[in-house]
Amino acid sequence: MTKDEIYAWLSKTLEEMFELDPARITPEANLVDLDIDSIDAVDVVVKFKALTGKRVQPEVFKSVRTVQDVVNALHTLVQG
Amino acid sequence: MLNKIWRVIATAFCFSCFGIGGILIGLIAFPLLIAVSPDRLDRARRAQALIHHSFRFFVGLMCVVGVISVELRNVQRLARSGQLVLANHPSLIDVVILISLLKQTNCIVKGGLWRNPFMRGPILAAGYISNHGGSDLIDDCVAALAKGDNLIVFPEGTRTPVSGPMQLQRGAANIAVRATCIVTPVVIQVSTPMLPKGRPWYRVPPTRPHFIVTVEDDLDMQTFLAQGRPATLAARDLTQWLHEFFTRETQQIAAA
Repeated sequence: MTKDEIYAWLSKTLEEMFELDPARITPEANLVDLDIDSIDAVDVVVKFKALTGKRVQPEVFKSVRTVQDVVNALHTLVQG
Repeated sequence: MLNKIWRVIATAFCFSCFGIGGILIGLIAFPLLIAVSPDRLDRARRAQALIHHSFRFFVGLMCVVGVISVELRNVQRLARSGQLVLANHPSLIDVVILISLLKQTNCIVKGGLWRNPFMRGPILAAGYISNHGGSDLIDDCVAALAKGDNLIVFPEGTRTPVSGPMQLQRGAANIAVRATCIVTPVVIQVSTPMLPKGRPWYRVPPTRPHFIVTVEDDLDMQTFLAQGRPATLAARDLTQWLHEFFTRETQQIAAA
């Protein structure tokens, strides 16, 4: 998966899972501002695993702040 | 004034009993328990029962010496298992009162208390859940409920601020929407702030705090999970609901 594909998947997933206004989902958007907490992050990770079969260690998300950070983290994972 | 001095002495006495009791139970009762009960689940059950009875005694002691008074409403609704109890959190002793009312109860304990010599032994034996695990916390709570433990959770995550609005975290609601269990709100009302966050124990309130513990009707979780609504959204709805509920109920009793 390319970063663009991951971004497209992620923004659609966030929109569906958290009923977010798509206009608010940008690469720079901060997860805290989108009211996404660590429990929500785990749910996103579970969805990602269902899609790719890749196991994600929750620690990966310790340092992420923005939507783009999540895309980068997931991208590193599918590469690895 | 005399009343206040008495309550400072009585509070010191009660807290000493709590500390000494914790050490004795940790040094004597729990090693015995481990010896007679090698099975972890069985041991946890017995440890939880022991803590329940000790806390019952302790709450009784606090009432007898006049540190607090407690009024219970509809507590028969707590005599079940696999029940998730969601309470507001005005005071340090809320959890002591709630455990004194609920047998076989699990709770989430601050990671730091694992290093507290008064509490470490009992916490370990009872199989209490640590809030350390991060993402595993919700799963641990759901598993505890599934094996029949009751679970006390304070949706605020910390004690209610004395002034200013109540704030809820979404963890409690996330447990409620993911576990298939009974969910029962409990409203704790206290006549004057007793051991709120940031106040030392010896600064006792001007009058004896009167606690009113009201067990409310079970929540119908279907209203939050209807039409296959995802857990992420159901947890948001429930958190919002709980926030309005606790804010309203605590104000109502305060006004009465």
